[in-house]
Amino acid sequence: MSETQLEQFRQEVRGWLGDNIPQGWRAAMTNAEQPAFVELQQAWFKKLVEQGYATPHWPEGWHGGGRSLAEQKVIFEEVARADAPRLILYFVALYHAACTLFECGSQAQKDKYLPGILNGEIWCQGFSEPNAGSDLASLKTRAERRGDKYIINGQKTWSTMAQYADRCLLLARTDGSGPPQAGLTYLLLDMKAKGVSVRPIDQITGDDEFAEIFFDDVEVSVEDRVGEEGNGWAVAQATLASERGLTLVELTQRMRGGLSMLVETLKSQGRLDDPHMRQQLGQVIPQVNAACAVADRYLQKRISDQEQVGDASIVKLYYAQVLRELVRLGVQSEGLAGQYHGGFMRGATQETGNWALDFMNSYNWSIAGGSNEVQRNIIAERMLGMPREPKQWQLS
Amino acid sequence: MSVEFQELRDAVRQVVDGLDKLGAEQDYWHQCLELGWLMVAAPEELGGLGMGCEAAVAVQLELGRGLSGAPYLPAVMAVSAICDSGLDDKSERLEKIFTGEAITAALVDGGLSASAQTLSGTLNAVLSADSATQLLFWTDDQSLVAIADLSHSAISAQGRDTWDTTRRLFDVELQSLPVADVTVLAEGRSAQTMIKQLRMQRDLGLAADAVGASTALLEMTVEHLNTRIQFRRPLAMFQALKHRCADMKTLCEASEALLISVLDTDSDADVMAAKQMATSHYATVAEEALQLHGGIGMAVEHPCHLYLKRAMLNPHLGTSSAACAESAVQALLDSVA
Ligand SMILES: Cc1cc2nc3c(=O)[nH]c(=O)nc-3n(C[C@H](O)[C@H](O)[C@H](O)COP(=O)(O)OP(=O)(O)OC[C@H]3O[C@@H](n4cnc5c(N)ncnc54)[C@H](O)[C@@H]3O)c2cc1C
Repeated sequence: MSETQLEQFRQEVRGWLGDNIPQGWRAAMTNAEQPAFVELQQAWFKKLVEQGYATPHWPEGWHGGGRSLAEQKVIFEEVARADAPRLILYFVALYHAACTLFECGSQAQKDKYLPGILNGEIWCQGFSEPNAGSDLASLKTRAERRGDKYIINGQKTWSTMAQYADRCLLLARTDGSGPPQAGLTYLLLDMKAKGVSVRPIDQITGDDEFAEIFFDDVEVSVEDRVGEEGNGWAVAQATLASERGLTLVELTQRMRGGLSMLVETLKSQGRLDDPHMRQQLGQVIPQVNAACAVADRYLQKRISDQEQVGDASIVKLYYAQVLRELVRLGVQSEGLAGQYHGGFMRGATQETGNWALDFMNSYNWSIAGGSNEVQRNIIAERMLGMPREPKQWQLS
Repeated sequence: MSVEFQELRDAVRQVVDGLDKLGAEQDYWHQCLELGWLMVAAPEELGGLGMGCEAAVAVQLELGRGLSGAPYLPAVMAVSAICDSGLDDKSERLEKIFTGEAITAALVDGGLSASAQTLSGTLNAVLSADSATQLLFWTDDQSLVAIADLSHSAISAQGRDTWDTTRRLFDVELQSLPVADVTVLAEGRSAQTMIKQLRMQRDLGLAADAVGASTALLEMTVEHLNTRIQFRRPLAMFQALKHRCADMKTLCEASEALLISVLDTDSDADVMAAKQMATSHYATVAEEALQLHGGIGMAVEHPCHLYLKRAMLNPHLGTSSAACAESAVQALLDSVA
């Protein structure tokens, strides 16, 4: 696309967003109950999908997909600029599930599940367990083969939006004998199936975005296995890479919107001319720009097939760090006023302008999807070629 | 990043990695001339290679890697100023630069005032002024950009010992230098435009230098940790150290990505932001690198200190960090207004 075509596209996106963004959604979502949240997300998702703006990162040939980096950026920039709601309820479906299917799914699985995603099916990710967090490979949820079915027993936790989900990306153990990674299998599980129960977990923000999932003899058809039995670890890497890298083109653009909010806060607190605050703001701005540049570069590498192990870790680690800096400055600029409870915003984006809330939410990115420490391990070991931890360890 | 940019960068890196002394001004200068690196940004009709300003950045990324002492950055600025000037002997002037008549410039702002018909003041941080034949400068009031012969009797250069030994900085004093004796490149409004352009190139060059140096220094540090054995294992096996390297890597990536993203901007605020980030990240990487090297890092025989001293100097060259931060804030305020 030429510069002028791109500019034309931008105007088109901007115009459409102007006409279609749900008015006053931030106020409506403040202290909202769950049904209102789901309703808003559903309606907004439907509109974006119809317009083809929900899936610009999908490949060519799929509805809305095949957009160049430049076009994707235009969409994300404009969505952020217009302060549209983030499709948090569909996040796992649009990114984790879709990217896993595109990379590792069979044609039949793509045909079966991707249209469902476009029709609004909600997905959740069932990887973490109470005793398997950073050490994901140690997970214990069992998948036992019986004929053309797997029988699932066990428990998952911290699963975002699981209480709303129709389907689950499940990583389960089919073999406990060999090395932990080798016994894992990747399955697509129906959350409405018999034997699935979900218990939401209250979060420090007042929200309950994630939940525990219990499996009691749940049946999954062999057809719903992604990749071979025992090959689940490799498939899970595709899911995690999409979370670490791809989602961040959108989120880093959102962070730019956070900068404008910060200016608003500083203005309203009469601190825009405070040299100390100004100096700190001047430090954060380039970091936000750099986070955008790092994410763009990642996507560019991915599009041109030059992605290397660890690239996605850098994007996520840097984003998590810059986000923390930004929201910390927000908290600081509000002073005591920011410590009075301002309500919580359901399905909040990372930047709500309610800085105490945003500060707490920023831990999503330093803990979930592989913590900062885990990303550092990946960067050091897989990119910089530094040796791994010694394996043997004994209680003395 | 274009393929051309990457290819040039790779080519320069090969040469830099083949030079056995960090900084060595003569060796680097020789390569700059021999391999046409001074010509990359100039348009073809003026005898250049027509690869655009970003090509000069590609070169400087790798010169930074080798802590080059050659006065490449002032040459880049001079080439750009001459190309943008109204002179009618541009090609001849460029030809001289391309073949080795060094032209230098101050790497910081300020110091020069113009009265009626003369120029007076002292320019600081002028690179390799003793081996250059000409000086590119502008006046504090931004009314004039010009070139003067360093051999003029009204000009004197005084070398300054800096902690950074990879570059040689001079104070250059102008004592009532007649305006009639200088070559004017731009005046009035067009001088302001040219100065903005020159400052951007200076900041880009310094940012590239910092990115290149910090990348090389990180590699050196990882290499050291991988080979140094303590407690019967490579130090690199200690996570406390690995994580610091991962953070250094992330800083290098952030600086580089931001720098690459501003290569075709005309916003000086964006360029300043890239310069501020790159130089401050380089300083952090250099501090960490020395710590992680332990005692050997404090020994003059080891190159660690060369990187550190250059990193300490860099933030003070080009646009000041405070001015960079302020311009970022101003640009943000303008964009949300
Ligand atoms: C908001 C949120 C949403 C989430 N959503 C999902 C979801 O949808 N699906 C899902 O499956 N999971 C989800 N998770 C779980 C998430 O992936 C885990 O929390 C994460 O992997 C960390 O595991 P843990 O909580 O068990 O912490 P632990 O692994 O116990 O880690 C505790 C601390 O120790 C550090 N640590 C651990 N191992 C190492 C090591 N080797 N070296 C150095 N430091 C180490 C960690 O970095 C952390 O700081 C979510 C988590 C959060 C917070």
